Amino acid sequence: MSAPEPTHPLAAHAAPGRHGAAGEAPLRVTLPPRDIVQVMARRGRADALAEAARASFGLDLPHAGHAATGKDATAIWIQPGHWLLTAPRGVEGALAARAAAAFAGLAAVADQSHGRITIAIAGPAAHSVLARGCRLDLHPRAFGPGRAAATQIAHVGCLIHQTDAAPVFELTVFATLAEPFFHWLMEAGAGAGVLIE
Amino acid sequence: MLRIPCPHCGARDEAEFAYRGDATVTRPGPDGDIAAFHDYLYARTNPRGWQVEWWQHSAGCRAFLKVLRHTVTHEVRAVANAAETLEVPPA
Amino acid sequence: MSQPHRRQAGGHIDRARRLAFTFDGRRFEGHPGDTLASALLANGVRLVGRSFKYHRPRGIFSAGVEEPNALVELREGARREPNTRATVVELFDGLVAGSQNRRGSLAFDWMAAAGLLAPWLGAGFYYKTFMWPAAWWERVYEPMIRRAAGLGHASGMPDPDRYEAAHAHCDVLVVGAGPAGLAAARAAGATGARVILADQDVLLGGDLLNEPGLEAWRHETLSAIAGMPEVTVMPRTTVFGFYDQGVLGAVERVADHVPEPPPHTPRQRAWTIRAREVVLATGAHERLIAFPGNDRPGVMLAGAARGYARRHGVRAGESAVLFATHDGAYDAAFAMAEAGARIVAIVDPRQDSAAMQRAREAGFDIRTGSEVCGTVGLTALRGVSVRGVGAAGRGDAFAADLLMVSGGWNPAVHLASMSGAPLAWDEALLAFVPGAPVQRERSAGACRGVHGIGAAAADGAAAGHAAAEAAGFVAMPAFPLPDAPAADCRPCELWEVKGRGKAFVDLQDDVTAADIRLAHREGFSHIEHAKRYTTHAMGTDQGKTGGIVGAAVLAEARGEPVSRVGLPRFRPYAAPIAWGAMAGEGVGKHFQPTRRTALHGVHEALGAAWLDAGIWKRPAYYPRPADADAWASVLREARAVRERVGICDVSTLGKIMVEGPDAATFLDRVYANTFSTLPIGRARYGLMLRDDGIVFDDGTTSRIGPESWFVTTTTAQAGPVMQHLEFHLASAWPDLDVSLASVTDQWAAIAIAGPRAREVVAAVVQGLDLSNEAFPFMAVADCTAAGVPARLFRISFSGELAYEIAMPAGYATHVWQAAMEAGATHGIEPYGMEALGLLRIEKGHVAGPELNGQTTAQDLGLGRMLKKKGDFIGRVLAQRPGLTDPSRPRLVGLRSVDPARQIRVGSHLVLPGGDGRSQGWITSVTRSVVEPGWIGLGMLREGEARIGSEVLAANPLMGEEVPVRVVSAHMHDPENIRVRA
Repeated sequence: MSAPEPTHPLAAHAAPGRHGAAGEAPLRVTLPPRDIVQVMARRGRADALAEAARASFGLDLPHAGHAATGKDATAIWIQPGHWLLTAPRGVEGALAARAAAAFAGLAAVADQSHGRITIAIAGPAAHSVLARGCRLDLHPRAFGPGRAAATQIAHVGCLIHQTDAAPVFELTVFATLAEPFFHWLMEAGAGAGVLIE
Repeated sequence: MLRIPCPHCGARDEAEFAYRGDATVTRPGPDGDIAAFHDYLYARTNPRGWQVEWWQHSAGCRAFLKVLRHTVTHEVRAVANAAETLEVPPA
Repeated sequence: MSQPHRRQAGGHIDRARRLAFTFDGRRFEGHPGDTLASALLANGVRLVGRSFKYHRPRGIFSAGVEEPNALVELREGARREPNTRATVVELFDGLVAGSQNRRGSLAFDWMAAAGLLAPWLGAGFYYKTFMWPAAWWERVYEPMIRRAAGLGHASGMPDPDRYEAAHAHCDVLVVGAGPAGLAAARAAGATGARVILADQDVLLGGDLLNEPGLEAWRHETLSAIAGMPEVTVMPRTTVFGFYDQGVLGAVERVADHVPEPPPHTPRQRAWTIRAREVVLATGAHERLIAFPGNDRPGVMLAGAARGYARRHGVRAGESAVLFATHDGAYDAAFAMAEAGARIVAIVDPRQDSAAMQRAREAGFDIRTGSEVCGTVGLTALRGVSVRGVGAAGRGDAFAADLLMVSGGWNPAVHLASMSGAPLAWDEALLAFVPGAPVQRERSAGACRGVHGIGAAAADGAAAGHAAAEAAGFVAMPAFPLPDAPAADCRPCELWEVKGRGKAFVDLQDDVTAADIRLAHREGFSHIEHAKRYTTHAMGTDQGKTGGIVGAAVLAEARGEPVSRVGLPRFRPYAAPIAWGAMAGEGVGKHFQPTRRTALHGVHEALGAAWLDAGIWKRPAYYPRPADADAWASVLREARAVRERVGICDVSTLGKIMVEGPDAATFLDRVYANTFSTLPIGRARYGLMLRDDGIVFDDGTTSRIGPESWFVTTTTAQAGPVMQHLEFHLASAWPDLDVSLASVTDQWAAIAIAGPRAREVVAAVVQGLDLSNEAFPFMAVADCTAAGVPARLFRISFSGELAYEIAMPAGYATHVWQAAMEAGATHGIEPYGMEALGLLRIEKGHVAGPELNGQTTAQDLGLGRMLKKKGDFIGRVLAQRPGLTDPSRPRLVGLRSVDPARQIRVGSHLVLPGGDGRSQGWITSVTRSVVEPGWIGLGMLREGEARIGSEVLAANPLMGEEVPVRVVSAHMHDPENIRVRA
C-alpha cells in the first residue's frame, strides 16, 4: 500500500476564489505544501551544527529574527538554538531523516511537517491586513525580506517570514489552530478582498 | 501594557509574555529542606521599586528572561537571559 | 425647512446640501459640516435633555468632547446608542436622535419634581436616606433610584455592526491636530520620521477652524503633511489612553458618520499605537464658573458659542451676555456680533484689560468688577442677573437668550497624566499643566498652557522637531508659522459666585458647590474621597469643564490653595469609548480560537455531539437514531468497549519530544517516579508534582531511543507542563543538555480499546508481532499503520486491552478509516469523551476532577509511586505535615445504594446520623455499564477505612441526600487482568 496524500487542515476551508470586497488589489493567498523540521542544537555544538548545515543544506543557520535559504531548504530562527528547516513537500519523513543524519550528535530533530502549516499572503494589502492582528512592526524600515519573527495573531501562535519585498509573507501556524487563524485572515482581508489561489 | 525588550526578538508587547514571578530566588539543591523550599516557593520581598522577575517570551522565542522592572512606574530597565545576573539598583 | 439661526455664509458648512434628521420625532434639516448640536441650534432647539439626578432642563453647553449636558440616544433599534454627545455626532442624512432621562415630554418632565426634593437629595443622600428597612434596598429603593437617575438606555439587542482591532507603530505620535499638532506633525514628518497624526475631529485644525483668516495656512500645512509618505493622518480618531512604554490606545470612528457601515467596513476600529516619542497637542477645555442657575439651557461656554458662529455658521442665541474672567474669551463676543447676534453686556470681575478696551471701542456694554449671580427662565434662558463682585442681593437683570461663560482654560492633561507625568500648578493660568515627563512624551500648545494660535503652532513645531530628533532623525529647516495675535488667557480667580440656587460644578452628575462643601464637612476632604462621595467629575465628561472648579471649592472649604488639593488621578478613558470597539472582533467565534484535531471532519461526518475541552472541540458522544437519549449513546459506546472494541480520538493529549544526553536525568527530576530505568520500547505511567508537593499532571511517557523520549500530558495541562519543563531547564538545571519540542500538533492519536482490540490493530498495523509476549502491556514501537508511518503504544485508559496508534496528523483520517474497516466485523464503535470518562471512572483512573490542584499523590492512592532516592520536583514539600496527614480525604469509589438514584459531582459526603460535617466530596460521576447504576469517585476522610460502609451524598442546592456505598476506586478489573490479556 502506498502512502496516501495527507489531509490538509484547511482542505475544507480554503476553496479557491474571491472572498470579501471586490477590490482591485486583493490579498492573494496560497497554501504552499511544506516539509518542516524543528532542529534543536545540542549544548556546545553550535559551531559544528552550523558547519553541518552549510555542508548538507548549503545555508548559514540564521541569527535571531532572520531566515536563510540554501540550495534546497530554508532555515528560520525560532528560539535560541532552535530553527525550523523547511523545504517544498517531498517524500514523507525524508527531510527529517536527512536532517537527523546530517545533525547526528549535534542537534535533536523533530518532524513538524504535519504539525505546522504555511499560508503565504501577497499583495499591497498584506501589511494592512496583518496589522489587524499582528502586534509587530512590519514596516520596511523594521522588517523585510529574509526577516522572520514568532508572534501571536488572533490568539494563535504564528511564525512570520517575509520572503519578498513585494511584499510576500509566509505565515506558519499550528495545524490544529489553522482553521480559526485562516478564518481570522479571511475577515481581516475582507475589506481589501481576498483571492485564494 | 508593558513593552518588554526581548534580547532575541526586540521590543514586544506584554501580551506575548507569561509572568513567572521573582527571579532572585534559586531552587534549593537536593539537600534543601522544607524551610529552604518554603523560602524558595513562598517568601517574597514584594518590593516597592525595582524587582527582577521571570518573564517567558511564551508567544515568541519561548526564552525565560530576567526582567528588571519598577513595580511603581513599570519602567523596564534591563532584560537578560536566564543564565545572566541583573543588578538591582536602589529603589 | 428654515434654520432660523443659521448665518447666510461662512464656516465649514456645505449649505448647498441638506441633511434631514429628527430629534424627539420632530423633523429638521442641517448641512454637511454640522454636528447634531450645531444643527439643533440652527433650528432653535435649545432644550436637549434632562439632568441625571434632578431632571433639570439642560441645553448644549459645549462644542466638543467635553459636553456634559447634551447626551442623546442616537439611531434606533439594535443600533440605538445611548449617551452620545450631540456636540461630536457628525450629522448625516436620516439621523434619528432622541433626548433621554425624561418621563413624559422633554419640556414637561414629571421627574423634575425631584428638583423640589433637592434639599434632601444632596451628595450621599441615598447612603443616608434609604437605610431602613434594610430589606427594602434591593427590592424598592435601588430599582426606584435606578429608574429616576441615570442616562440613556442601551438597545438590549445584539449590536449588528462589526468592530476591528488594529496595530500601529511610529517614531512620533502626535495627538491632536490643532495649530500645535499640525505644526508638530509637519516638523516631525519633514525629518523623514514615521509620524501618526490623530485627531478626534473629522476636520483637522482645531481652533484654526474658527479663524477664516488662517485658512490658507491650515490648507498649506495639511497639503504639506499629505505629501509626506511616512506621515499617517487619522481623523475621527480619539486617543483615549496612554499606557506603559509608549503604548497608546485610540478608537477610529470609521463609519459612525453614516447610518450603517458599508459592506466589509467596521463601525469603529480600536488601535493600539506603539510610539517611540509622543507629542501631546490635545488643547484645552474651557472652564465653567459655578453660579446659581449656571445649568439653564442657553448657558454655554464662550468658546463653544464662538465655534458655532465661526465654524458652523450658527448663532447659539440672538441676544448674548458674556461672563468672562480673562481676555481670551472676548473673541466670542466679537464672533457673535459678526454673526448678527446682539451683545447685551460683557460681565467681567476685573477692572480693566486690553480686551475690555477693544470691546469698549466696539461699543459693547462692559460691566467691570461684576459677576453673574443668577439666571432666569424655565426650559430656556430669558435673562441674567448681574451684580458687583461679592455684593449681596439679586443684582441687575439683563434680558438675554445666551450666556457665554469662560472661567479660563483647563489644559487637557489627561494623556500626560496617564503617562505618569505629575501635574504642576500654573499660578498665572490657575490651572494644572503637565510636569516633567516620565515616559518619552512632551506636550505642546494649549495642553501645556501655551495659548494663541501663533504661539501654540510655534510650540508644536519645536516639540515636533525635538521628538523627531529624540527618535534619531535630523531636524529639517523651519516652515512658515501662522501669524496670529497671542490670547491672554490668564484669568482672575473666580471659581464660584455664591447666592441662592444651585451652582453646579459638575453639570452631568448634578454636583453643586454645596455638595462639595458637604463632602468636606462629613470628612471626605481628600479630592479622591470628595470625588467618590459626590460623584464629582465621574460622568462621561470626566469633569473636563468643572473638575478643577470643584477642586477649588474644596480648597476654599479646606482653607488651602487649589494646588494643594489637586485633581483626582486621570485614568483611561480620556473620552467615552464604545464597548464594541474594545471588544473588537473578539466576540462570538473569535472570542477564543477553536482547536480541532486532525479527525474533526471524521467526527463531523459521524454526527458527533461536541464537547468543549478548553479550546478543543472533542466529540462528547455519537448519537444514533435508535438512542433514546444522550445516556443511551454513552452507555452503548462504553458497552462496545467493554464487550467488543471501540475507537476514540485521543489527539488532544499533550505530546512533548524530550531528547538529549541528560534527558533521562531530567525526567527523573520532573517526574515523581523513576524513568531512567525504563528500557527502550517501553512506556510508563508518570506522575508530576509541583514544587509545593501537590500533583501537577500525569501521563504516559515512552522511551524511543537511548536519549529520546516521548512525553504525554493531559489535554488541559499540555501548555503548562511545557512551560514547567522549560522553566526548570532554564532556571534550576541549566547544566542539563536536553531539548524539548512540542509535537502535539504533529501527531494525531487513536485509541483502540476492548477485548477485540488486538484483532483490529493487527489488521491495521504492519511489521509488528502483537502477541502478548512480543508486545506486552506498556510496549511501544514504531511501525507502519495502513501504509503510513506510525507509532504503536499498548496503553489503556479504559481498563481494557487497548492500543494507541499515533501517526502524522495528515494521515489520521486514513488510519481511522482503516481501523473502522478492520473493526467492522468485530462490531467496532467510535466512542466519545463521555464514554471515555465512564470507562476511566469504572477503572478508577484519576483525571482533571481529581487532579484539581489540591490533591497529593497519597490522596489519590498513588503514594507508592514516589521514588525514595534522588531529588524530584515536589519531593521536599510533599513531606510537609499538612500534606502527609493521614486524615486527609483519600480517593474512593462510590456506588449509589439505589442504582436508580443519581449522584452528583460536588455533593458532599456526610456520615449518616452524624453531625452533618462534610467528610469529603464527589469529584466524578457516571452511570456504570459493568454493574448498572450510578457510580462515582470522590475524596473521603479515612476513605480506605470506610470501604464497605455507607455515607450520604448531600447536595443542599438540589435538596438531595443520596445514600452511597464506599468502595475501592478500582471498581473494574482491579487485578488488571484485562489490560494484560
